[in-house]
Amino acid sequence: MNHSQGFLKDIQISCLVVGWLLSNTASIILSFRVWGGQSMTDSAPSWFFYSAEMIHSLFLINHLGDIFLEKHWKSVISRSVCDYFFEAREKAVDPENVPPVLQTPHHYLISIYRGKLFFLSVIQTEVPPLFVIEFLHRVADTFQDYFGECSESVISDNLVIVYELLEEMLDNGFPLATESNVLKEMIRPPNILRSVVNTLTGGSNVGETLPQGQLSNIPWRRAGVKYANNEAYFDVTEEIDAIVDKSGTTVSAEIQGVIEACVKLSGMPDLTMSFMNPRLLDDVSFHPCVRFRRWESERVLSFIPPDGNFTLMTYHISSQNLVAIPVYVKQSINFFEAGSCGRLDITIGPKQTMGKTVEDLKVTIHMPKAVLNANLTATQGNYTYDCTTKMLVWDIGKLNPQKLPNLRGSLSMQTGVPNPEENPSLNIDLKIQQLAISGLKVSRLDMYGEKYKPFKGVKYVTKAGKFQVRT
Amino acid sequence: MPYLGGEETVRELRRALSNPNVQSDPLRYRNTILKVIRTMSQGVDVSGLFSEMVKACATVDVVQKKLVYVFLCSYATLNPELSLLVINSLRKDCQDPNPMVRSLALRNMTNLRLPSLVEYVEQPLTAGLRDRAACVRRVAVLGWAKLHNLQPSSEIDAVVVNELYSLLRDPDPVVMVNCLRALEEILKEEGGVAINKPITHHLLNRLKECDIWGQCEVLRVLQRYRPQSEDELFDILSLLDSFLVSPHPPVMAATLSLFLSVSSSLPAVSLAALERVSGPLLAACGSGSREMRFAAVCHIQLLLRSVPGLLGVHYKRFFCGYAEPAYIKERKMQVLVELVNDENVAMILDELKGYCTDVNTDTAQAAISAIAVVQTMRDLVWVCPQCSDTVCLALEGCEETLQDIQGRQALLWLLGVYGERISSAPYTLEVLIDGVRSEASLGIKMELLTATMRLFLCRPAETQDMLGRLLHYCIEETTDMCMRDQALLYYRLLHCGIEETRKVLQGRRSDPSLGVLIGRPTKPVSQWARCFNTLEPLSQGAVEAESASRGSPEHMTYNPKPNADLSDTLSCSHIQEIHSGES
Repeated sequence: MNHSQGFLKDIQISCLVVGWLLSNTASIILSFRVWGGQSMTDSAPSWFFYSAEMIHSLFLINHLGDIFLEKHWKSVISRSVCDYFFEAREKAVDPENVPPVLQTPHHYLISIYRGKLFFLSVIQTEVPPLFVIEFLHRVADTFQDYFGECSESVISDNLVIVYELLEEMLDNGFPLATESNVLKEMIRPPNILRSVVNTLTGGSNVGETLPQGQLSNIPWRRAGVKYANNEAYFDVTEEIDAIVDKSGTTVSAEIQGVIEACVKLSGMPDLTMSFMNPRLLDDVSFHPCVRFRRWESERVLSFIPPDGNFTLMTYHISSQNLVAIPVYVKQSINFFEAGSCGRLDITIGPKQTMGKTVEDLKVTIHMPKAVLNANLTATQGNYTYDCTTKMLVWDIGKLNPQKLPNLRGSLSMQTGVPNPEENPSLNIDLKIQQLAISGLKVSRLDMYGEKYKPFKGVKYVTKAGKFQVRT
Repeated sequence: MPYLGGEETVRELRRALSNPNVQSDPLRYRNTILKVIRTMSQGVDVSGLFSEMVKACATVDVVQKKLVYVFLCSYATLNPELSLLVINSLRKDCQDPNPMVRSLALRNMTNLRLPSLVEYVEQPLTAGLRDRAACVRRVAVLGWAKLHNLQPSSEIDAVVVNELYSLLRDPDPVVMVNCLRALEEILKEEGGVAINKPITHHLLNRLKECDIWGQCEVLRVLQRYRPQSEDELFDILSLLDSFLVSPHPPVMAATLSLFLSVSSSLPAVSLAALERVSGPLLAACGSGSREMRFAAVCHIQLLLRSVPGLLGVHYKRFFCGYAEPAYIKERKMQVLVELVNDENVAMILDELKGYCTDVNTDTAQAAISAIAVVQTMRDLVWVCPQCSDTVCLALEGCEETLQDIQGRQALLWLLGVYGERISSAPYTLEVLIDGVRSEASLGIKMELLTATMRLFLCRPAETQDMLGRLLHYCIEETTDMCMRDQALLYYRLLHCGIEETRKVLQGRRSDPSLGVLIGRPTKPVSQWARCFNTLEPLSQGAVEAESASRGSPEHMTYNPKPNADLSDTLSCSHIQEIHSGES
């Protein structure tokens, strides 16, 4: 209580000091009121607050456990802080199983595991975990965006740019510039031609000009964009996450959809995208450029697009009857007590493909440890079995409905080891071009605010996300 | 090779850096500096090159400057005197026409973190606050916070604080947010930045312009605000509504935190907010990032404490994928248990049964999963007796995978209560009874005794002999009083006749007609609201405390709770009552 009284006093003082705070003109600008109606009861309880400190240091660690990059935004913290992490890493056996949040006597360690790398942040006080995790992923995304992949070799090769990026992304532990197009104006991504030119001329990869994006009225679009060819392309990609059980019934199924855009339009175009069947979408998230009110009232996407590549929206369709399962799998995997061997027989056929061809079909099975080798024949495609990782991969390719692909044969097992109790599950990868499996279709795209006629295009593709068949 | 040959490398680098031929060739010079940074990031101590690097700072090449700054900021504290030499070139850069160079110089000036340099830094920082370019102002604002951290005891300059307050009105949203951050640090002693009505409304109105990090920051600071009227409160909530369903989990979580704090006196509003946020939270549970999924599931566990039925229909979202990391599987199973209701109980049990045998041979994983599964089933059986058949089927064969005390206790309890339906029950118990002398855990021994007694009542022929052995051991050999007392109690009970024994041991049960009972009573939102969006729900300790409080329905010796009277308990703490009740 004492604290809050002291606090009130502070407000008084600062109000006197800072003139504008006294003006009572400030009020909330509201378009309409959603919340209201209930009445207040008794007074509010006391509340705890955490200090504002954020990310102190970042360590990049490869899957072998070597720290190959470190960056400190506040004071320098010794590498020995990572020992707690290595301990947990030992315990977890698989790198995927390392818990993302570890507590040490003086710090919190929050890490993400991406592309066989750990991004380990050191934090000194209580922080919102979602914030830090999201930020670490943003760092990894930025590397991916700049270098095409996010691996140790690529990061070490581009050390200079990596340091430059990290310097711009955080200041004093607070996220600063994380938008890819803003960063790219400050630090140019590497490209082969330019690095050759740079080596010859000694030029640098620093933008010479002040980033424009920060000066335009619309934060996500820079002013004065000009293109000779004006074009807007959209990729609708849907991923099916499904679990199908032994008997072929769907245990769970949902679709994760995303619309990626590549918009290269001059000036300040204002686009409107409408769908044939917008009712399909109930769980959606948009790029900040989309006018949410128009979506709520008319179910159209109205937006002034950022320049270049961006994610327009993501959506999620979870009601199971809307999710078509494109393939069925007939399988039997048995391990025999006598003879230390097993049999495997898998057939895949089309189920609900809407008349399209299933491509890039691939089956991955993580075999039990006791399986030493596989001696199989595939009627289509090739299979490989990696004895160290115990991964059986069957790369099928295009699915021919007339002649269903089949993989069968025997598995040789370690002798003297009890039979594995569980059967491994099958992970399926596939791709269907020109189809959004949910049935989502863009009906039209209109442009306002500019005079020229742009090229427009929409492409659909369906992929398997986490698609798993249990045996 | 990291760590090895460090000295040799440093000597070589020094030679290269001070070679006039290298210095005159900008490209070679820069590459040498890059080599220094590489070596540094491999963990070799290259602080000995400080003076050479200071010289390299005087260059027009911005990239080279940046590289040198990386080096200087890492080692400045070791060489405070030499660092003085850098300050001149940094101050010159602060006058550069290019705003990028200005902001770079300003930032690194403050990153050196040397108290001795403060007097040289203040002037450029003051100028930086009034710079034309927003990117310089952003750096300058935070620079003051860093300066304050260097000498936290020093008097706060009221002029600077005022200037920072007025920069809250800066047209650039990042400058505004950075002002908040700086003021929070500088005014820490006074409780942070002053949050009054005009500031609050100003921040709220500009919230949309900020990036997601800025939004989180503003929302966090605003938790301190108490609306003065109900009207104002609901205006704020309405304004924040779209942030509550933000696609960015950090923003969504920060908004909910703010909702819960400002509406803490209105439980109905809090509950409505939880309902509204459940959609985005579920979406976060399906996020591509496993760390995000984990954090989201942990926070859902918090929500369920107050609104247990909230996500009942979405239970499938918590089914585990085969390749998911163990830490997510563990949490998902905990959530699944919470979501059990009449409709989905069969599906959930089926799913859990799958995990029981599906687990990888990896022992750690198997143990964790199996414990969770059996504990889960025990809770299920206790809570809704009609599903016990399914559990019994699932139970056979999973005794081997259990390693942990709680899990084994749970299994024993199940074997005792449903022994007649599990054909292998006596054999499982026999193995344990034969090894009872080497069993370390008292809890397991007690549970074993009770289970054997129960089994004896329904399958006397198979169990009589082993019960005799066990009672003999407990009464004659064991030194633990609790155990002896309990065994003696059973022994005397048996003397009273089988019917009497049955009455005691198979007394009260939860009523099958009750349908689904939700295990724990719902807790008010305020009980956990303050730890929402903090690390607390993610920590391992939280899980353990949670599961311990939900422990065995029988043996609640450590933490007896009001609902313990539901169980027909015979644990040591209750012996007295039952004894007197029966005699």
